[in-house]
Amino acid sequence: MKRLFTHSLFGIVLCFLFVNFALAQNAITVSGKVTDAQGLGLPAVSVSVKGTNKGTQTNAEGSFSLQASVGNTLVFSYLGFQTKEVQVTGSTLNVQLIETSTALEQVVVIGYGVQKKLDVTGAVAQVKGEEISKQSVPNAVSALQGKVAGVQITNSGSAGTSPQIRIRGLGTVYGDANPLYVVDGTWYNDIGFLNPSDIESINILKDASSTAMYGVRASNGVVLITTKRGKGDTRITYNGYVGLQTINNTIKMANASQYATLINELNNTPTFANPDAFGNGTDWMTAVTRNSFTTNQYLTVSGGSEKSSYNFSIGYFGQGGNVEKNQYDRITARLQNDILATKFLKIGYNAILENKKSTDVPDDIIYKAVTAAPVVPVRYADGSWGDPADYPVGNVPSNPALQLDVFTQESKGRRITGSAFAEFYIVKGLTFKTNFGAEYNEIDRRTYNPVYNYDTELGAATHTQYNQISLLTINQDENNNWIWENTLTYEKTLDKHRFTLLGGLSAQRYKNYFIEGSARNVPNSTSGDIYLALGDNDTRTLKDGGDLSTAQSYFGRINYVYNDKYLLNASFRADGSSKFSQDDKWGYFPSVGIGWVISREEFMKKFDFINELKIRGSWGIVGNSGIQTNISTLTVDQKPEFTAVFGGLPYTGANITSIVPPVLVWERGNGTDFAIEGAFMNNRLTAELDWYNRTTERAIFPIPVLTSLGTTSSQLIGNQADIRNRGFEFSLGWKDGNKSNFTYSLNANLSINNNKVTNVESGENPIYAGGDAATGGQLSTITVQGEPIGQFYGLVVDGIFQNDAEVAASAQPDASPGDFKYHDKDGNGIIDARDREVIGNPNPKYMYGINTSFAYKAFDLAVDFQGVAGVDIYNANKGVRFGSENYSEDFYNNRWHGAGTSNSYPSANVGGGQNYVPNSWYVENGSYFRIRNIQLGYTFDTKLISKWKMQKVRVYVNAQNPITFFSYTGFNPEVGTAKNDVGGTPKTINTGIDRGVYPLYATYNFGLNVTF
Amino acid sequence: MYFTTNSFISTKNLLAIFITAGLVFQSCSSDFLDVPPQAKEEAEAFFVTQDDATKAVNSIYANLRVWNQVAFAAIAIESVPADEAEKGSSPGDATFFNNFDNFTYTASEGQIQDFWTGQYQSINLCNQVIENIPPINMDANLKARYIAEAKFVRAYNYFRLVRAFGDVPLRLSLPKSNVDFNIPRTPKEQVWAAIEQDLTDAASVLPPNYPATDVGRVTKGAALALHAKVAMYQKKWNDVLNYTNQVMGLGYSLFPNFEALFRIANENSTESVFEIQCQSLPGIQGASNSQYSQVQGVRAQSGGGWGFNVPTEALVDAFEADDPRKDATIIFRGETTPEGDAVAPTGDNPRYNQKSYVPFTVPFKQNEGEDQNIRVIRYAEVLLMNAEAANELGNSPQALTSLNAVRERARGGNAAILPDVTTTNQDQLRNAIYHERQVELAMEFDRFFDVIRQGRGFAVFSTKGFKEGKNELMPIPQNEIDKSAGALTQNIGYN
Repeated sequence: MKRLFTHSLFGIVLCFLFVNFALAQNAITVSGKVTDAQGLGLPAVSVSVKGTNKGTQTNAEGSFSLQASVGNTLVFSYLGFQTKEVQVTGSTLNVQLIETSTALEQVVVIGYGVQKKLDVTGAVAQVKGEEISKQSVPNAVSALQGKVAGVQITNSGSAGTSPQIRIRGLGTVYGDANPLYVVDGTWYNDIGFLNPSDIESINILKDASSTAMYGVRASNGVVLITTKRGKGDTRITYNGYVGLQTINNTIKMANASQYATLINELNNTPTFANPDAFGNGTDWMTAVTRNSFTTNQYLTVSGGSEKSSYNFSIGYFGQGGNVEKNQYDRITARLQNDILATKFLKIGYNAILENKKSTDVPDDIIYKAVTAAPVVPVRYADGSWGDPADYPVGNVPSNPALQLDVFTQESKGRRITGSAFAEFYIVKGLTFKTNFGAEYNEIDRRTYNPVYNYDTELGAATHTQYNQISLLTINQDENNNWIWENTLTYEKTLDKHRFTLLGGLSAQRYKNYFIEGSARNVPNSTSGDIYLALGDNDTRTLKDGGDLSTAQSYFGRINYVYNDKYLLNASFRADGSSKFSQDDKWGYFPSVGIGWVISREEFMKKFDFINELKIRGSWGIVGNSGIQTNISTLTVDQKPEFTAVFGGLPYTGANITSIVPPVLVWERGNGTDFAIEGAFMNNRLTAELDWYNRTTERAIFPIPVLTSLGTTSSQLIGNQADIRNRGFEFSLGWKDGNKSNFTYSLNANLSINNNKVTNVESGENPIYAGGDAATGGQLSTITVQGEPIGQFYGLVVDGIFQNDAEVAASAQPDASPGDFKYHDKDGNGIIDARDREVIGNPNPKYMYGINTSFAYKAFDLAVDFQGVAGVDIYNANKGVRFGSENYSEDFYNNRWHGAGTSNSYPSANVGGGQNYVPNSWYVENGSYFRIRNIQLGYTFDTKLISKWKMQKVRVYVNAQNPITFFSYTGFNPEVGTAKNDVGGTPKTINTGIDRGVYPLYATYNFGLNVTF
Repeated sequence: MYFTTNSFISTKNLLAIFITAGLVFQSCSSDFLDVPPQAKEEAEAFFVTQDDATKAVNSIYANLRVWNQVAFAAIAIESVPADEAEKGSSPGDATFFNNFDNFTYTASEGQIQDFWTGQYQSINLCNQVIENIPPINMDANLKARYIAEAKFVRAYNYFRLVRAFGDVPLRLSLPKSNVDFNIPRTPKEQVWAAIEQDLTDAASVLPPNYPATDVGRVTKGAALALHAKVAMYQKKWNDVLNYTNQVMGLGYSLFPNFEALFRIANENSTESVFEIQCQSLPGIQGASNSQYSQVQGVRAQSGGGWGFNVPTEALVDAFEADDPRKDATIIFRGETTPEGDAVAPTGDNPRYNQKSYVPFTVPFKQNEGEDQNIRVIRYAEVLLMNAEAANELGNSPQALTSLNAVRERARGGNAAILPDVTTTNQDQLRNAIYHERQVELAMEFDRFFDVIRQGRGFAVFSTKGFKEGKNELMPIPQNEIDKSAGALTQNIGYN
């Protein structure tokens, strides 16, 4: 629409030009080029002679030419850039436009449309593509860390794993807590496939009124991603970097002689006769990890005219994991093309292709490495594997280097996704758009467990790690999703009234299918061998499964602005989802937002340091359908474990092993947001303060049910609680670009969140959870009315028993000296479950980020900081012990090993007795402060490079995550949603429980940007 | 102003198509949003045919061999507390077993929860069958037998629960609504009564034996024998005598070779009264899931196992001189088994359980020893129960006959050993029977609760840390107490 409009304007302007040409006095032809801050030509910039109606537009290269007189003032204006006025002094005039410094003038993307930030009444934050591509991260979400107030990003150290994102606190426990990602109109759960360099902008919708347009998928916020579209001249851009990736903050483990000492203490017998003789022994972390290389190569060709635009890109990302053998490679390609086919029809598509491959390592390899016995060598002098069985350490721990060596798994993934649209311009202002988005992706994984037999092949295995018969397992998982949306938009300006009406409907379908097969005794002499067909006939197994859900929606919205001062936005959406039972399929989601641009009022004009000032308030209802499909349909459990044997022959078995909630309804989010935002001091200072109240009503909770029901799962899903997240978000920006040669910007943001459970269906009775392997099977979190969700719950450690007399006099007669002395809360002389209390809160209270950039002549520097404070972590790794696992050096130095040696750390028997039960010793401070990114760049002089037909050449060095400060004794304080056990499935309810978290890594890169 | 007449019409047409498409969506919306579960049968469609009933009963049998019924939990609750067994494995591995060995376990032990869960999961499968099969239109005899089979297993699970915990929540039907979710403990007398009712029902329907293709299903003899054991725990000696006499009329006999009795070749022998069927099933990975032998197998030996639940010195000493059952019950470090396996002379443990032993060379797909059936009730135990009941009722001749039948088989034809017991003094004979149970049934997960029901817990186990008035029962799992919000109470001494 806009394009059509400008096009015809252009014609009208031309007419005027002809008329004026004849009348002009002393007119000369002024020509020149309009460029952006990077020196790239800006097309379609409006150029006019001030005080006349003479004007033109820049062409695709950014060049213009018009008639004007010396002394005339030319006005250059372009959406998103500061308008610039320049006096004509001669026939050449080159102008550089600076991007609008006030965020309020920027255009932001909202659901199904765009709006000027000034017209927005909800909480929408925008991060530009260059902010993202500046960081050397494989996943764009990771680059948002510390950039936006209220958005918590938790990274994972394992290659190819998407970071976890929480917008305005944790609002759901059972459902999906991740936001919805919308890439050019197509909905995704994850955007790991998207090359960060392909992103034009990321807009984060934080409050309920902004996200209500996404109804049932909106409760955790919505991340709208616009990909780059071509414009102007054909441009070829290359971006590339190579880097070194290294683990930082590894846990220092006890060395061999310290370990032997500890094991002697654990077993209370001299298992190792002479601990000192072992010296340092093996550092298993060093044995299985390495510094690795990472590289990113990206090439794009783009361009556009009034009639069409295109952008083709191809990227390669290669990441060597910090665990030996681990490698992740990804190739992405994107094709984007828009064509104005006729005056009233625009069609276009955007297709993304991804092909990835990884050489995997065992999920628990880091855990195995830190727990492995340092007295065991990696290999003996004769080359055979160090065998824990040759040492008195049992079969826990094992030899992780052997485990890694024999582990053979390769994963491959292919994806094609994208969207196609058609826009019809029916009458002026009225547009019909149909958009069809689809995604097909397939992942296949081949795991091969070769033969490595202790008995037959000398030195090929250890006594406890051997495999006598090979096993090949193949998993294939495919997803086939589509979304079709039709919208009708009507835009109209009537005098001081400006409004946009939108109506639409949407249908979606999500299908998953997986198949898994295995066979034993598959040879592996060539790559052509890895087929189930080559396995033993009687060992082949096969299973499959799938998932299907559909959704259907109707929605409408009005955006109304009066006199550019008074803002009203209101929307309504109705969503139907197949996931819910018949009577509860439909949900209805209204929202309303109002705003007042105070700075446009007459009485504000006298405050000339205020450029823009707006207050706004909004309210909305949103939903969360991020739960499994058909949750209230009772199904039959038919599994191989139910195969009975009679007379030596197998017979299929099946039974009902679950109970389902009779009624399950939407989790309903109810969000209110009030904010004040403004730009001050010539737009150099911007500030925004939001207060929000976000409640999740009738939150779906898995309530632990009594095991005596006999169900396979000890949980029952139901609408159980109301959760509230309330807090402030504060953003401050300072940008000064007027000094010659030197520009800089400083941005800081802070969010404060308070999480509270406002109502529990079970009334006074708390909801206990977290009873997994990480906590010795003990329920370790409590959710109770009036308190934050999922707080750590356990005994409080008063000290350590120093001797038998203390034990005998205590409430724990079965304890031994060196055990935890627990606080007898009820003072009844017995330590039991009734003495437990809240011992920590996993919900972070404060998050902050500081982002800076500086440019001096050809140099540019960006430094970002980020941190979290007011959060606890349950370090379960310290207490989960099955045998003779290693301990940390910190534990060795501080442990109890005889009366008077320690009153804070227990004896080596930390995993035994009652020491492993959830208690306050395992709870640690999870606050951290990080230097997130440092980048220093140098742009070569245009004159120097123009002879090679280059427009821009920039080189840079970059350090990503170089330093993190924290006191936590685990690998890193970014724990997030914990797995219930090493290699297990993460559970939201176990947030903050650290069990086998990966170490994070720093990357140091050298990069090159070239534009032709 | 933007369109020629023609293009406007075509646009209108296109628009009409899209709007119509939208309306079509709307009109068929009920279908579009009606999606059945994928790859899972809906429960509504189950328990409809005879085939469904068969599958459901199969699941009950299969579930008897799962981890939480036969492995760590059973060792922790039913074996290690006794004087015959201790943790085994390597010193640092799974040290929680030591808490059970020395009676320092608390309500928070994962194994207690696991044991509890295992029994109740099985009970749910039985309740599904008992409640949902009756309305099915199917062969009436088969229907009655299926229900009887389920009742037997339910009784077996409640027996394991009541002797371990005393009062337990008694679920004899499926929960109908939320109010049935959280029920309190039922007094143990009522639990015993429910068990006896199930066994009475089962014995009246179950056949004494099955055709070869159905071997492994529970029989009338199994129901009577378990009923006898249940009665014995309640000291209902007339019932014990009655039920064991009935079993003795069903044609069982002692297998001549005590050692060979426990090998795979002699599964479901003439001595087998109730045996859990475990089989290495090529091609059905998940079904080869018994870890009963694996967890007890010789440690650090290829084809062996993890080496838990090992016989103690006390058990070695319990055998009479030259009792062949000692060597048949215990694998001694350094020995060569009758099947020819040389057990390494060094290693963490001097002894291993031979009754669960599977020769190292027996192939397996998942777990060592997955092929080994679990002998739950042997005819030898029926004879010993018969002897005990007869003696308690003053019928020493019958007691001696039954007792000496067991000793005779143990003798293996060697007249120089294990002389017949001859005393008719009731106390002496009782002690002889107790002793015979100890050595005959050693390492068969019977000893601990046997001694408890004999009222000798403190006398036998006090040196291991047994506390009278407390350790006769296990604590109710702490997680259950937490979840019940006060509905479940704890056993004496555990809070």
